[in-house]
Amino acid sequence: MPLPFGATLPDNPTDAELLQSCKRGEVCAFERLYGLYAARMKSLAYHLLASRGDAEDAVQETFMKVYKAIGAFEENSALSTWIYRILVNSCYDILRKRQRLAEKPILKEFSMDSKLPLKVALERALLKLNERHRLVFLMFEVEGLKHSEISGVLEVPEGTSRAWLFEAKRALKQMLTEPRHEI
Amino acid sequence: MKFECGDLERALANPDLMADAQLHMRDCAACRNEYRIWNEISTAAKQLHCEWDSPDLWPNIRKGLEAQSQPPKHRADWRLWALTAAAAAMVLLAVLRWPQTPTDKSVATANLSAQDFLTDQALKEVEKNEAAYRHSIDELSRLAQPKLENPASSPLLASYREKLQMLDSAILETRSNIAQNRFNVRLQTDLADLYREKRQTLQEVLTRDQSN
Repeated sequence: MPLPFGATLPDNPTDAELLQSCKRGEVCAFERLYGLYAARMKSLAYHLLASRGDAEDAVQETFMKVYKAIGAFEENSALSTWIYRILVNSCYDILRKRQRLAEKPILKEFSMDSKLPLKVALERALLKLNERHRLVFLMFEVEGLKHSEISGVLEVPEGTSRAWLFEAKRALKQMLTEPRHEI
Repeated sequence: MKFECGDLERALANPDLMADAQLHMRDCAACRNEYRIWNEISTAAKQLHCEWDSPDLWPNIRKGLEAQSQPPKHRADWRLWALTAAAAAMVLLAVLRWPQTPTDKSVATANLSAQDFLTDQALKEVEKNEAAYRHSIDELSRLAQPKLENPASSPLLASYREKLQMLDSAILETRSNIAQNRFNVRLQTDLADLYREKRQTLQEVLTRDQSN
């Protein structure tokens, strides 16, 4: 059965309209979701996977899962939160596959912008952070998600998200300012 | 409350204390510097957001969505062929073992009975194996439960938890479909795949170091 093209989606749909359109399997609704979230999803996935190709795979995989499961989405959280949660899970699936294949770690494709040494140092320091602290830092500071959204993505209380962000920044500050930390 | 340099970290963690910290920083260069570094990290972090063109990504996703909306024909086909071949081999084996009788009629009857018997027998075997497999998975689930339910578990464990929930839901759905058509080999194979995936996921949970 071909996907419906969804002429029923208004120009500026509300979240609820978009969701209903997605639940009907209308491809234009998924294209709208892509337009809304793909850039941020790619960036977050890139920081988790250290590879643009894998980041794109994770985004693609996420859309497949969203399409498959949207009928069962119970609206206990925002659609965006649910999508980011699936994305993070997809990234971890890719990381697990890498572990299974005992693949060599991919070297981070560092930006070569010499005007931004702090940016480069920060990028390297992030790799040394505790996993959950890094994830919260990436979502809050880099991608601009709110603590309320992060708590939905990670299924932790908002206070925990704030505490993990604080721990992340404290560790980063230490790594970036104290000479004994080799970054 | 008298705000001192040692309180700065608490203020950074708790925005309610920030007003006091700001007052303190007016006269404290060291804390001002600490606060500046703290903010610089946030400023630099914004620059880590990266965007690049992916002209093929949406077309690929679209293709994938279209493929998902089609029944998984090829996948089902090879499984069906493999299972049909296995079933045919078992039928042959059963026929060869079946006691030979002299009349054509009784041979025909025997073959028919053997086929019927084999189908039932095979189903019983599948159901017996499934029950045993399910039991061993339940045991693994029981062992993994404390790790999975730990509220302080890592995001990776949370992702395992979510995956297991999705698998459980898929298993329930497949089992419900099987209840309506117990002899459907494709459904039985799908169920076996789901159980295999669940077992593997649970084993990964159990072997994963929780310290991270």
